[in-house]
This record gives sequence, C-alpha cells and structure tokens, in this order.
Amino acid sequence: MVRERLVEALGNDAVKTAPEDLAVYAFDAYTESGLPSAVVLPNSTRDVGAIVKIARDCGEPIVARGAGTGLCGGAVPTEGGIIVSFARMNRLLELDERNRRAHVQSGVINLDLSRHAAAGGLFYAPDPSSQRISTIGGNIATNAGGAHCLSYGTTVNHVLALEVVDASGDVFTTSIDDAGYDLTAALVGSEGTLGMVTSAWVRLLSIPESVRVSVAAFDDIDAASEAVSAIIGAGILPTALEMMDGVITQAVEAAFHAGYPTQAAAVLLIENAGFEEDVAASEAAIHSIVMEHGARSWRTARTQAERDILWAGRKGAAGATGRIAPNYYTQDVCVPRSRLPDALRAVDSASRANGITVGNVFHAGDGNLHPLLMYDKRDRKQVAAVVETGNAILQSAIDLGGTISGEHGIGWEKREAMTRVYSTADLATMARVRDVFDPARMLNPEKIFPRGLRCPEVTP
Amino acid sequence: MSSAQERVAPKNAQSVAKLLARCDRNGHKVRVAGGGTFAGMGYPPERVDVTLSTAQLTGVTANERADLVVAVRAGMPVRDVTTLLAAQGQFIPFDAPNPQYGTIGGTLAAGWLGPRRHAYGRVRDYLLGSTIVLADGTIARAGGMVVKNVAGYDMTRLYVGSFGTLGVLVQANFKSIPMPQRARLFLAPLPERTRERACGQLAALRIAPAAAFWIDGFDNTIDGDEGPEGRVLALLEGSEALVERATLELRSALGRAGVPETRIVDAGAREAFERVVDGYIACLGERSVTYRLFPAGQESLRSAIGAQELARRVELRAEAIVDVMNADVVLRISDFDPHSFGAKIEGFDEELHRAEPHAQVIAGAHSRRGSLQVWGTEPPAIEQMRALKERFDLNRTLNPGCFVGRI
Repeated sequence: MVRERLVEALGNDAVKTAPEDLAVYAFDAYTESGLPSAVVLPNSTRDVGAIVKIARDCGEPIVARGAGTGLCGGAVPTEGGIIVSFARMNRLLELDERNRRAHVQSGVINLDLSRHAAAGGLFYAPDPSSQRISTIGGNIATNAGGAHCLSYGTTVNHVLALEVVDASGDVFTTSIDDAGYDLTAALVGSEGTLGMVTSAWVRLLSIPESVRVSVAAFDDIDAASEAVSAIIGAGILPTALEMMDGVITQAVEAAFHAGYPTQAAAVLLIENAGFEEDVAASEAAIHSIVMEHGARSWRTARTQAERDILWAGRKGAAGATGRIAPNYYTQDVCVPRSRLPDALRAVDSASRANGITVGNVFHAGDGNLHPLLMYDKRDRKQVAAVVETGNAILQSAIDLGGTISGEHGIGWEKREAMTRVYSTADLATMARVRDVFDPARMLNPEKIFPRGLRCPEVTP
Repeated sequence: MSSAQERVAPKNAQSVAKLLARCDRNGHKVRVAGGGTFAGMGYPPERVDVTLSTAQLTGVTANERADLVVAVRAGMPVRDVTTLLAAQGQFIPFDAPNPQYGTIGGTLAAGWLGPRRHAYGRVRDYLLGSTIVLADGTIARAGGMVVKNVAGYDMTRLYVGSFGTLGVLVQANFKSIPMPQRARLFLAPLPERTRERACGQLAALRIAPAAAFWIDGFDNTIDGDEGPEGRVLALLEGSEALVERATLELRSALGRAGVPETRIVDAGAREAFERVVDGYIACLGERSVTYRLFPAGQESLRSAIGAQELARRVELRAEAIVDVMNADVVLRISDFDPHSFGAKIEGFDEELHRAEPHAQVIAGAHSRRGSLQVWGTEPPAIEQMRALKERFDLNRTLNPGCFVGRI
C-alpha cells in the first residue's frame, strides 16, 4: 500500500523496498541498527511534501537521512517506517558571492560547497571530519561541528535561512532576519524531529590570507592536555587546536604518511589562520606555551601540500584505526576546557578497567573529546566492555561539568542519558517545541527524548 | 489582589516561578521589565497587572576565566558584565545601547543586533546555556557551560529575541573571546558626492573595520565632525600590527573615494563607538520614533536616502545611521512637536513599510507608537510562532500583545 502510493507519486526509481536495498540504510556508526519499511529518494521539496502526506495517511513514521555518517543512530529507524534520503537533492541552487552566502539543497555534500565557493575566495566554515561525504542537511540536523569551530562556531552560526517540510507535508521557511521567534535556531540540531530541511541558505567566509599549521609532540599526554588548557587560559584562540594520542598517530602514519611523529605520546595539531601579522603572533605565543609545557618537538608545515596531508591524516584518523581493530566506537563528550587533563585521565582509567584499547583524537581547544574505543563486533564480551567504557566516559564528562554530546547529537544512543544532564522539567520544556511541530511524533520518533518522558498536561 | 501598580522584583528563580504561577492561575498579565532601554520596542502590552522587574536578579553565577566562560543573572546591567570581562582581557560583543541601564536579559529578549556582529558574530552565538521561568512557573535549564553542546534542542537561542513572551530569562551562560588589543577610530566629514563610493570602499576593505557608519544628523548625541552632509565613522580593532596595516588601507580607500580629511582617535575610540550605539535609541521626547531598516542585499545607503526622501515629503525630519558593514539602517523620524508628529507618523509608517517591509521600531515614546507596524511585515512562519506561544504560555500571561503579530 505505502509502496504503491509512493511509486505513484515519485516513480519507481525513487522508491526502494527490496531487502538488499533497505539493508544499506539500516546503519550508521552506532552499534544498533534498524530496517526501514521503505526508502524514498526525493528530487524536490515537493516530493518531500508528498512523501510526508503519504506517510501520514499510512501511519508510517519518517526518518530523514543525509549520508548516514552519524554516530548515534540519529538517521536509523528504530521501528520501521520510511527513510527519506536526500542523496538526490544535491543541487547548489545559488552562490551569491557578493553577499557571501549560498543556497543549497539538503543533500549537497559539505566539501562540495567549499569547493564551489573557492573560485570566489570563499568557503563554508563547518568542517566535520566526514565532510567529504556528509551532507549539509545532515550537518544541520546535528548542528555539526568540526576542527575549525573553535574559531568559526558550529553549524548553527552559519545557517541563515531554511526551507522546511513540516509534519503535515506543508512547506514553510524561516530566516534569522525574520522578526519573531528564531525558528531557524530551534530547527538546527533538532535531528529531524521538528521537520525536514529541504534547502538552506548558509553563510560563507572569506578564505584567510595566511594559514599556518604546526605539529607539537609530547612524551606525555597529560602535558599535552595541560598545554591546551594553558593556551586557552592565556586568551589565545587559534583557528583549530586538535589532539591525537600515540595510538592514533601511529595508525594515521601507517595509513597516510603525513609526517606526524610516531614515537610521541601525544601530538597537537595547531592551525592559525587570518591576517599574516596575527597568524605569526598567535603562532609564536602558542609555540612558547607549548615548549614551556614540555613539548619535545615543534614543526611548522612549509607548503600547502604539507598542510593538506596533515589535515587529511587528522580527518581520516578514525578510519585509520581499522589497522588496530576491526571495529571502533566513537564517544563524543564535551568538558570545560580547563578540565581536559582530568577528562583524559578518566578516559584512560575507564578503558583500562574494561580492557579496551582507546585512541584519542579530538577537538582539544573546544574540550570536545572523541575517544575511539577499539573492538571486535563479533565478540559479545568486547561489545559489552565497549558499551561499559563509553558509559563511564559519559558519566565522567558529566561529573566534570560537561555534556553528553559536543557535536554528534543524541539520536537513539544517548536518549536515556538525557536525564543525567537535564531535569524532567528541562526535557518537558524541550518537548513543548516538539508538540508544536510534530504533535503525532511521526518525524524521527524514539530519538533525543528518553522513553517515558512524562510531560505535564496543559491546564487551561 | 494585584493592581496595575503592582511592581515586584524577585530575588531568585524560585520567586519568579512563584509569582508567575500565581499570575498565570489568576489571569493576571505580567509585563517583564529590565533596564527599560528597549521600552520603545514592540507593541504596548494589552494589559498589565503586574510588572516583574529583573532588577534584583543580579550577580555573577560563575566566572571560569581560564575557560573563557561566564554565567550571569539576567538583571545584571550589560556594562557590569563587559567591565568584569574587560578586567580579564575578555569580551562579548553585546554592543547594547546605554549598557549602564540595559540588562543582559533585556538585551537577549530584544534580540539586539549590534554593529560589530559582522566581525565577531551575533550575541546569540556566544550563549552556551540559560535558565528560564515559564508562565506556569516551570523552571527550565537549557545547554550548559561548555562551548560545544548538542544535547537536545537549542532552547537558549530560541529564547533570544522572544521578547519575554515565552518565559522570563533568569540566567545566561556565555563564552567570551579575547579582547582585541587595540581600537582606533576614524572620523571624517562625508560630502554627498563621495558618499556612495566611500561606503562601497569601506564595505570592501580586506581588513574589515569592526564597525563603520555613515551618520547624518544625531548632532548632539554622537560626536565627530559634523559635516552638513553627514560624516563617516569607522572603528578598527585588532592587534597592534593589524590596526597599523588597516589604518593605511582605510586611509587610502577613503582617499580614493574623495573623502577630504580624516581624523584619527586612539584614546577613547571605543567610548566614541559606544555613543553611536547609544544614539540608536536616543529619543527626542515624544516627538520621535526610531526605525531600524534591514534592506535586502547591500542597499543600505540607498534605503536610508530613500526613507529620508519619504520623510521629507511629509515634512518630517529624518536622521540616519547607516551601518555599512552589516547593511542596516537606523532612522530617527521627528518633528518639532508631538502633536504635528502624531498627525503624520502613521501615514509615514505605511509609506515606509511599502518600501522597507522589514522596518522595525526600536525607540520612541509617542502615544501613537502602538498603531505603527512596529515589527514590520509578519514573518512567513507566523502560524508556527503563534502555536509556540500557545504551547509555552497558553493564558497569554507574559507581555501579552507585545510581540510580532500581537503575540
């Protein structure tokens, strides 16, 4: 029934229901998976509206999906339903260089936008490590970050306006320049639970005139994380300040030959971008702090090619761990930046206690940790140990005054953990927004909010 | 119980919650008041039974200097926060007018957009978390104290610009950034023939000024060279070396545009800039209304001149501050007395909105203010906004009728 109606509306080519097709959409990087009852690939906003109306009629939930690079099951159905894949809505609708903005469909790949904008001296700032494949729509759904959000901010800072298909299949638009409530901000990071973004106006920035990338190596991971806290504490905000431990750098070097020192316990990857005068000054100040904190080496990339390969290594770090173990699980927590040394110690002790190999590769300047827990999916014991370790890391971040997701979202995985950082009243207040946009809970149900959240009734 | 005169200044979130719950139950309407600097924004409330002042909600809840994170109560004057941060070499670009009176809560509720936002971002992008009290007395926290946080909806940004109609903000958590080392101000008279080129040159500078204005009028409010055809004022901020380089670029750009004489002010540059921002809401008693125009694209200068022409036709005075970098316009419309002003302003308001649908009223004490289109044309998602208001404040207890679409 659903299939027939979808095919009738969008054509045979846009609707997938064969088991082998559905299986492709059942996963992201989360340990759990779930099969949809159908996958639909719309070409236009109108198509998306038609899908929602059909889904409503048939009582099917809807899960919007970009490239499926999420970590927490956000784009995975928990109990069947229709997946709306934005893969075909990948057109760059307008590049407005004069006003430094672009209008893109949701399925446009993050890096493609920057590539197109480069001719006009512009780029799109949010750069999650998945940027070669992840989509702008998916980035908006999770309010994605990336290595450079230390200075440029996360996705929400770069979204100017949205075109959205609501839970009734109708289209509405929001803009940060409209009078009234900032619905744009409410929609960014709502993980497909308030509506489906079909296109977005995003802000572009001028490519900086000068970029310097340096690598500092440490014999001790504690010293490296203290150096990070000291840099921020001194009031210096580089463009990016990333950290990788020895486990990761060895894997990265084996895969990329990027030039990272392999004997170090930890390295910092530091980028300063902007005007030449400032870049040089910032780099000099960071260099001296880093050396004071016991760095044993410092190297600045001399060419664009050297910078590119260092970044390629950093952004490909998670994939490179395939050499260590067949599977990895990435935790995503954020702590106050001065607590970074404590947070890393907690990661170390949690993984030791559970006998799990951990590699740390993360946005140190933001206090946003990404411990990669290495394991073999086929071994149930290892899976249990990974879950236990991830959980312990989550709790330690909360105990340090941090949060349970810095940039990847809550999705399916962390919904129950929401009660650890928010009270029932806090969550019920968020749910009021959901009530307005999706009262029937048909858009990405069973996500973000914990099971059984009891909302106070509205009393007139 | 309560009368129109009742004014309460609760000391903490719990007292705010108690008060709101009582009013909500009893059908009493609550006006939320901060420092009063944005009293000229929005429609006058339909009814006021209780005025809730945030004056007692002051103090710094947390100041994590090494994390560049600070949490303050909503009634704290903006100046107190910027002074505290400055002493630590940090800042947040609030750019709020009259910051000695204007509060953090008021600045956020008004969704105030400062002139340095093109350089440093909007104030909303510095917010990490908040505590709000809803009309039914629910105390709700959102976000936290870390610089990246995607746990749940971004409630804090939703409250920014909501004009106190979703709840009463009691605490805001911010990140800050390092204070730029140097500030330098450029002042020059701007003859009409140079106007367009000068603004174009300023907007296109490689090292963008932190703020740049073309100012016509506001003679006793804002200092600077008061050329009869307006003046230009630009603020450079950054490191010592960068400001020196920017100075050369700016000078030659203005020179190319034919601007005759430039004056540089180093001591007191930021203070002079702040006086421009104060000018945004400076009223002339009951004989002025100030609009803010948000023209599409970069047509700010043309919009300002067009709006001045509309005013001239009905013999109203129109002074303008064109924010060259953000392409918006402050337009103060006045007349010699409140009576003649009142006779013309509604007609002008209609004409203005025909040309500038997004024009909003940001200041003015005239009694006719309520009949103007103070929020500009209704936004396309007005129905969603009404639904949101209903779900947060069913009884319309908070600031009823003040917001967009008389929400």
